Amino acid sequence: MSEDLKTKVQELIDSMINPAVAGHGGFVELVDVQDNRVYLQMGGGCQGCGAADVTLKQGIERLIKEEIPEVAEVLDATDHSAGTNPYYTAGKA
Amino acid sequence: MPSSAGRLLLLLPTTTYRTEAFVEAATRLGVELVCASERPSTFEPLAPDALITLDFTDPAACAETVARFARRRPLDAVVPADDLTTVVAAAIAQRLGLRANSVPAVSTARDKHAMRRCLAGAGVPVPRFRLVSLGDDPALRAAETTYPCVLKPLALSASRGVIRANDAREFVAAFRRISAILDMKDVSLPGEARHALLVEEFIPGVEVALEGLLVAGTLHVLAIFDKPDPLAGPFFEETIYVTPSRLPEDTQACIAAVTREACSALGLAEGPVHAELRVNERGPFILEVAARSIGGLCSRTLTFGTGLSLEELILCHALGRPLESLERERRAAGVMMIPIPRAGRLAAVHGTDEAAAVEGIEEVAITMHPGQDVVPLPEGWQYLGFIFARAETPDAVEQALRSAHARLRFAIE
Repeated sequence: MSEDLKTKVQELIDSMINPAVAGHGGFVELVDVQDNRVYLQMGGGCQGCGAADVTLKQGIERLIKEEIPEVAEVLDATDHSAGTNPYYTAGKA
Repeated sequence: MPSSAGRLLLLLPTTTYRTEAFVEAATRLGVELVCASERPSTFEPLAPDALITLDFTDPAACAETVARFARRRPLDAVVPADDLTTVVAAAIAQRLGLRANSVPAVSTARDKHAMRRCLAGAGVPVPRFRLVSLGDDPALRAAETTYPCVLKPLALSASRGVIRANDAREFVAAFRRISAILDMKDVSLPGEARHALLVEEFIPGVEVALEGLLVAGTLHVLAIFDKPDPLAGPFFEETIYVTPSRLPEDTQACIAAVTREACSALGLAEGPVHAELRVNERGPFILEVAARSIGGLCSRTLTFGTGLSLEELILCHALGRPLESLERERRAAGVMMIPIPRAGRLAAVHGTDEAAAVEGIEEVAITMHPGQDVVPLPEGWQYLGFIFARAETPDAVEQALRSAHARLRFAIE
């Protein structure tokens, strides 16, 4: 079951998610799928980006749940503090 | 017609620190979010029901765009993440008939000169002040000024551009420096704020911050933070916030009372407020009342009731959900906004593990990335990161924050 889910998620990452985040110099990698939870790592412009949570929850998670309804949640396993080229950088506003 | 699930529009400038906290709060509450930023998300074409781009410099246009969106996806609430979006949120709420502060109230709070005028007119204690045009001769204005004074832009935040002057020479230097800051390419201010600055009396004393929530015009004080590092100038870099306050109970009551008067005078009635006050033997003086919650990552110091975050309270209030508890946790808590020691490029941060190991420290969050240009006050507006602590007493929290900070070393080239 998990392997099947992994394959579906990976296909979605390749076909829709990475082409979308590439516009901001970002990419997403599948880390694991456990108990219908998808763990992702973000890189490039997404790593450390001030909008990474919006991208993950409003973009990636919605898309994955829409296309693969058995997915319960998408979780971020990224070390955002190690990002060296975030697309948007937070400053106190 | 509102959605039955609770759909909320969150206004998130791409430069805000507040995104993670609000998105997490919405997830925990099961609130359906629509996120708006001033620059497009890469996912907007794939998720047009969840992501919008809005020009935050044009509140009326934002309100029209959102009204069109809401015809197909009704919204139940709108929440601004920070200062930049308070007026836009009010304009959208007014257009959609949602509960929120009025546009005039938040516009006044957003403009330091308009706020001073409004509060002084209502008899709320504020520093003596006057507006100075950047087209004026600074030497002439300096000659008319009583010292020490503080010069500040009308609408920047995070103490950016706020400078103390002790004499005419320092006044002229500060005037020119602020003028240059307002010309910086990342500074985008409306109308008068681009062409004028505020000169006000320097108020000696201790500084505190009050975090509150307005519900139907009643201010609920969520926390009063001490700022134990002296803020005497020439720049006003905020570092440590600790709550609960160690000031006497009657002083804290005065702080709350003056903030209530200020909110009432401004016409603020709903949602979060963040107030900054100076306190001395003459009592509390309002420096600022903003119609937003605390900035940076500082809200991580606040937990309410059975563990609700500040952002959960704000979202619940905006949606008209019952508020379980507005009582802050029993333990003392604090944050240190890590100051930038000098300008340059951040090469590395050392000692984070040692800092995190200090008793009472919960987290050391470095928010600047290696290779990033770092700019100290008064031109800069960012922090290197944040240190968070909890302990049994405010003194122990403050000590833990100072001890952790002493273990950090920043390589700036």
